[in-house]
Amino acid sequence: MKRLDLSRYSDMFTGYTELRVQENRNNRIAMVDGTILENSRDSASGVSARSYRSGSWGFASSPEINDDAIRHVIRAASDNALFLDRHENRRESDLPASSAVGEWDFATKKTVAFRKDRIDFVKGIDSYISRKFKRIVSRTVVLNTLDMEKQLITSTGSKAFSMTPRSLMYIILAVDTSSGPVELFKVPATLGQFEDVFAKPSLYYEKLDRLYEHLLRKAEGVFPGTGISDCILAADLAGILAHEAIGHTTEADSVRGGSVAADYMDQMVASPLVTLVDFAHTAMGETCPVPVHIDDEGTFAKDVTIIEDGVLRNYMHNRESALEFGVEPTGNARGFMFSDEPLIRMRNTAILPGRSTISEMIESVEDGYYLIQSSNGQADSTSEFMFGVVLGYEIKNGKLGRALRDTTISGVAFDMLKTVSAVSDDMSWTCAGMCGKKQSIPVGMGGPAIKCRINIGGR
Amino acid sequence: MADRSRVSEFCVKVLLEAGIEKAESSLLLTRRHELNVDSGSISLMRTTDDVNLSLTGIRDQKRGSTSINKTDDGFIRDSVLELIELVDAGESDPINEIAEAQTAESFSRGPEEPDVDLMYTRMKAFLGYCGTKYPNLILEQAILDHTAKQRYYSNSNGVSFQSVRGEYNFVVVFISRDGTSTSSFNYVGVSMEDLSKELHTYDGMDRLMGQSTDQTVTTNLEGSFTGDVITTPECMEDFISTITRYLGDYPLITGTSIFKDSLGKVIADERLSLHSRPVSEELAGGYFFTGDGFKAENSTIIDRGVLSSFLLGLYGSRKTGKEKAVNSGSFYVIDPGNTDFDKMVESVEKGILLCRFSGGNPSSNGDFSGVAKNSYYIENGEIKYPVSETMVAGNLKQMLKTIKHISKERVNNGGSIIPWITFSGITISGK
Repeated sequence: MKRLDLSRYSDMFTGYTELRVQENRNNRIAMVDGTILENSRDSASGVSARSYRSGSWGFASSPEINDDAIRHVIRAASDNALFLDRHENRRESDLPASSAVGEWDFATKKTVAFRKDRIDFVKGIDSYISRKFKRIVSRTVVLNTLDMEKQLITSTGSKAFSMTPRSLMYIILAVDTSSGPVELFKVPATLGQFEDVFAKPSLYYEKLDRLYEHLLRKAEGVFPGTGISDCILAADLAGILAHEAIGHTTEADSVRGGSVAADYMDQMVASPLVTLVDFAHTAMGETCPVPVHIDDEGTFAKDVTIIEDGVLRNYMHNRESALEFGVEPTGNARGFMFSDEPLIRMRNTAILPGRSTISEMIESVEDGYYLIQSSNGQADSTSEFMFGVVLGYEIKNGKLGRALRDTTISGVAFDMLKTVSAVSDDMSWTCAGMCGKKQSIPVGMGGPAIKCRINIGGR
Repeated sequence: MADRSRVSEFCVKVLLEAGIEKAESSLLLTRRHELNVDSGSISLMRTTDDVNLSLTGIRDQKRGSTSINKTDDGFIRDSVLELIELVDAGESDPINEIAEAQTAESFSRGPEEPDVDLMYTRMKAFLGYCGTKYPNLILEQAILDHTAKQRYYSNSNGVSFQSVRGEYNFVVVFISRDGTSTSSFNYVGVSMEDLSKELHTYDGMDRLMGQSTDQTVTTNLEGSFTGDVITTPECMEDFISTITRYLGDYPLITGTSIFKDSLGKVIADERLSLHSRPVSEELAGGYFFTGDGFKAENSTIIDRGVLSSFLLGLYGSRKTGKEKAVNSGSFYVIDPGNTDFDKMVESVEKGILLCRFSGGNPSSNGDFSGVAKNSYYIENGEIKYPVSETMVAGNLKQMLKTIKHISKERVNNGGSIIPWITFSGITISGK
């Protein structure tokens, strides 16, 4: 994306205003059973402006990026704010006027790969599966990369540039059983462009071997009994729990909208073993999978410790909610496309590691389940959640037993987290998911494994 | 280029000149005006324009696709060069094809321009109505938009379609709070061609918001039982979406669809007929032609219990050797039954009125399980109380054959017309 001098438009701003130029580029190759079903490249770029007037917001966007279009969206955003202000007359105070300046570019420094290199990578993965795993009846390999490049200025003096890439690969394998096909998937995903992430297929062979072994055991698997059980949720599930069931209830707009977390500030909502943080860009010295240094309102992004030693301590904020709650903005305002207004969104949400080892945790369960991988998840304002579980094992007398068929876990997060009795000492991240909240947007989630009591369902 | 109605034809021409053997292009121009309510106040007005220009090319049986959101000649020519790189790097597949020649047609429906002042008036009246009638209801979010879409499709076989479509859409997300008791969130949406009616009068609005205010205090069910589930039209729409996913290209190509061998066979109770009607006058929403370049027609997917059509596109049809669908699905209509909703409730000995289902993706054999949200326990023919932490589990394939009743009443939300349906033999479990 061509870098523009946006500061020359700042004299058009009337009241608090953001001006953002953005391009999202997406590359996708999908191979099913050795045939390429999709070989596509998409890009969407444009300019948007958002303007604030006494509590009313106006937003406008255009796919054109030229002087006329930029001037048009600034005027249209201002006109829209004025239209609402005339009707609503809310007379709210001015927004916090902090500013932030900086550039963060995570683009590869390597030679840019050709299309053929990407297709050869996918073929390499597909060929290994086809060659080695004899019982597979269907195999899907999808390579998907997303680059998000943004330029931003605000009327408060913020000026930011970021290029944040994400690379991921879906691998879906199926085997036949007497009750029909059984599937299992894996989605390696991380910060970075293709050139930095997917060096060669052989680096993934070990992961593929493990996936196949899990699938064969799942094909012989059983449905869990229904009801409350001792469970160990591996990092993947602990991460989605942190995001869906706790994170969403503590976004300040959800709190304002009536989420149950509105009543729990400074109260014990979890076991003292639980500390839950929405990291802005760096966690324990490492760059997070979705690093946000300056958000789309031009605020320096800072970590938000949502739960500290079991006590609810903070919500996540944009400028407007910070004004309403009397706190500092936390830099959680993000928009996915150029045509999306910034919303309060999580960045990288995780429970912090504890002191137990996974093997100790498994040994401590007499009769329960080790739940490893989720398919999807939902939660609502009460913190009641549901997650699909596609990979897990029974635990009997401290040892892993039979694999599980697809099932579901559910509960009320602020109750369930009080049952956490161990937290593992390791940590893993993913950014495979897209969080949906009016707009979809990449988020990071992760954490250690946790031991808890949870409602497991199934047939 | 200045005349956007010629862009897709121009792109096909440029692709052919560049050596592509079979080319198609589609252009979508979208203009949206949007009023947003956050936490009960109208807080944001948006006007957005967007463009999506898609190019697809086939050469030596290799296929590639690009899309950009620009229509200038320079961007188009760059996109063509990118497409050629994709095509040349691809793999030969004799299945790759584009739509055959059809008569050129133009379509239009709905208002192309919004009445922004009336949008504001309707939204304001809706907020006033909710505040008075449901004082415990919190509108987390409400969005009223007018969306105008111009679509153009051209290909090198001479296909040329264009459509102009305008509609209003309203979606509202809400919870209720009574003291410190909070209900689960719920939502309802509707599409319409005009704003002649107040927003709260559309199907489902009052019913769902009224239910929400009853749901701040819930009861946990004890134990597990097998019983009846009455799905509401809103909940059934989600189940239909799940069921029809098994009928599309991917699960049929991979052979993982639970219905892969069921065409022409009984898959549901004989009272169930399911249609896809993208060109229905009954529905405010719809489409006139498919993404792969065929004029859309209405179809019947399940005809009195018999699976009568898959939802295969051109590629999926050629790959599987099965018949291509006459549309791309969605805009589903289920025929009404012959039972009053009240009688359906009276016939349930023990079960659930399932108003929203928060479930995991079903497994490849159709097993599903999830949480009954915003739902009610039914016993001895009476709706007793709203439930929480209640799981529902079954198998989609078996469930379709265990229909007990289909209601006479249906809900038309502009995107579907669906009745209430009672299914038996569903596993329901509490804590």
